[in-house]
Amino acid sequence: MIAATTFGGGDVDTQLIAKSTFLVIDDFLGMRGMLSSVLRNCGAHPKSIDTASNGPEAIQQLAKRRYDIVLCDFNLGAGQNGMQVLEEAKFKNLIGPSCCWIMVTAEKTVDTVMGTVEVQPDAYLIKPVTEAVLTARIARIKAKKEAFVDIDRAISSRDYLKAIRLCEERAAVDKANAIELLRIKCDLQMQSGQSDKARQTYEKILAARDVPWAQLGLARIHQQASRHDAACQLLEQLIEQNRSFLDAYDSLAESYQALGENEKAETILDRAVALSPNSHSRQRAIGELALKTGKLDRAEKAFRKTLKLAEHSARKTPDAYLGLARTVGAKADPQEALNVLHQMDKLFDNDEARLRSKSVEGYVYHQNGLARQAAEAARELAGMLDRSSVRPDPQASREMAELLLVAGNRDKGLALLRAEVMNNPDDTHTVDAVQAIFRKAGLAEEGSNLVESSRKEAGELMNTGILLARGGNYPEAIDKMRAALERMPRNVRLLLNSAHVMLSYMEHDGLQAALLREAKKNLLAANQLAPAEPRFAELMQRLDALQGR
Amino acid sequence: MSHLPKPDASLFLASSVHDMKNSISVLQDTIRRLLLKAPPDECGEYREMSQMLYETQRINGNLIQLLTLYKFGHDLYPFNPETQEIAEFARSAVSHVTPLLTSRQIALEVEIDSDCYWEFDADLVNGIVVHAMNNAVQYTRDALHLQIAPVDDALEIRIEDNGRGFPQHMVDDGIAAMRGINFSTGSTGLGLYFAAVVAQMHCNRKERGSIRLENGGKLGGGCFILRLP
Repeated sequence: MIAATTFGGGDVDTQLIAKSTFLVIDDFLGMRGMLSSVLRNCGAHPKSIDTASNGPEAIQQLAKRRYDIVLCDFNLGAGQNGMQVLEEAKFKNLIGPSCCWIMVTAEKTVDTVMGTVEVQPDAYLIKPVTEAVLTARIARIKAKKEAFVDIDRAISSRDYLKAIRLCEERAAVDKANAIELLRIKCDLQMQSGQSDKARQTYEKILAARDVPWAQLGLARIHQQASRHDAACQLLEQLIEQNRSFLDAYDSLAESYQALGENEKAETILDRAVALSPNSHSRQRAIGELALKTGKLDRAEKAFRKTLKLAEHSARKTPDAYLGLARTVGAKADPQEALNVLHQMDKLFDNDEARLRSKSVEGYVYHQNGLARQAAEAARELAGMLDRSSVRPDPQASREMAELLLVAGNRDKGLALLRAEVMNNPDDTHTVDAVQAIFRKAGLAEEGSNLVESSRKEAGELMNTGILLARGGNYPEAIDKMRAALERMPRNVRLLLNSAHVMLSYMEHDGLQAALLREAKKNLLAANQLAPAEPRFAELMQRLDALQGR
Repeated sequence: MSHLPKPDASLFLASSVHDMKNSISVLQDTIRRLLLKAPPDECGEYREMSQMLYETQRINGNLIQLLTLYKFGHDLYPFNPETQEIAEFARSAVSHVTPLLTSRQIALEVEIDSDCYWEFDADLVNGIVVHAMNNAVQYTRDALHLQIAPVDDALEIRIEDNGRGFPQHMVDDGIAAMRGINFSTGSTGLGLYFAAVVAQMHCNRKERGSIRLENGGKLGGGCFILRLP
């Protein structure tokens, strides 16, 4: 039994605070004064406390001094909110992993407590903040950061199997963080192609407690396996029981889209936006969906809202600009589309963005019957492609091919689409998307031929290496596979096969440091392209075993 | 006026409460600070200031409860049960009432297991516990007892005092009797209603949380009990 007067934080906690530096971010002078005095009462040195009243000021301070602890109000008046300040600080590398970022809010709403997956504060505190609460919370975050150091390191070096092992070890002894550790472990299992094991973990958790994220996890396993009907059923139930669980809405909208139920997807996204109107990624999803279904007014509105919401975000992407340009282009307003692309070009100064901007520009000309300008854009795009070393992602590749096919530079367009198919010869989604581009260009038959011959060529290239390896000729097999990867650097099966052959070679003939690195690089590339691929974990295990030998 | 839509207070509820809460936080903090500095002479300013602190805490608590109920009704509350270390949870809840207890010279005993963890929404449950302790301060003679421990597969949080206890009809009728507004006692029933709603939201494997009132307990006065599955 403990009497109230002695029921405070420990000396260790006070010492921790005495040697820390603090930044208090709040637009309200009274609040800044109050939070600073709470910190002083907790034992902070007055010289260790700085304050800022808005985002730009905070960023300036963060660039000048390293802070151990940041107390940031979510609501900072006009301009950036607290979450966007955190985003920018992380994006610009102004805070390290040991910094505690505590978001202070006057009230708890769906909007104030929902960060993106990548950007989450260490804690949310609701005002009024007392000394005891703050001291205890800081001590807990610090302890957690220390406990998770090894796990975080393993994750950032993408050593998933080790991270999973560390989570298991720690969860067995750390009651306070056991559930959180299980959640990380499940995420890692999902990311490393071990959805079977993840399912077992989710089911074990759900046998003991109703945990919404574990239910969401089960739905995501269905999604990974394209069982979208089952996923929808689970997610509908989950939302019924947890009406403010926004991640579930987003997943459900994805599954409805995969099933072609665009109306239902639209309704679900609308419901999520009503709960949390300030997510720019969700507005963009609405825009993309509306553009796909030809609801151009709705698409334009959603894309414009996306741009407005992302105005102060450090992590904005060109996608909403491209979507908006396509939308107004489809509404027969090429001039406005050009304006939008021009704005985008000013903000995103990199090869990939320029390539994508140019291809949408050309396509809008084409769509509006401006053949001469479309051909000019296609010519420029082809030149840019020759000069750039960027390997555009599938979406960008298809956008470019679409323009090149219809506006003159046909060979280049065909080459891009050929590469797309060769990279994903077994993926029906890619093949369908490529066929659709040919159909739109009035070249359906040519499309089928290209898909067929690309798949055949990819298959032959992939088999050559495997056959050589089977015959025991590892060095030549590896050479052939390297050459094949030059042609199709995003071919997941080839990446995994090449790693398999390299590992077999070393298991047979002994370790070679450079080859081991190459195998690991290929494995990680495959995992990034296809996290659900189960061979990844198995090959990583073999790689670990070799390394340990 | 005719072009204005029909008045709808709920439109302003969220934004006004948000604004008021900021002011009250500053006010509360100022009073807490003054209380720490003032000499505890029983009949003078000290007593008045402690009453002020109590009143601001009541306003703050009621505002949060109103706003939260509004959010429940519109699915806008991010309900998130997470693992809580009971010792830290208790420490944090107690810290909100310590100045008031000290100023009224009320002794508090806290009885918790140092190695106990439970899943619940800490913000909501903290609101209930602080509100219940504030309430008990009004009715107790000079002592409070806070006990948190697992009982029959649920976590039981008990707040007991050594006052005269609850009127028998409140204990008998349970939550049903708690909704009516009683202007003579100043009770709106909001606190108990809120506690009952939050308890219900905590659901685990088909079992829901609950609240109940008793008389007696360790100190022989009123007991407020919250059960979380």
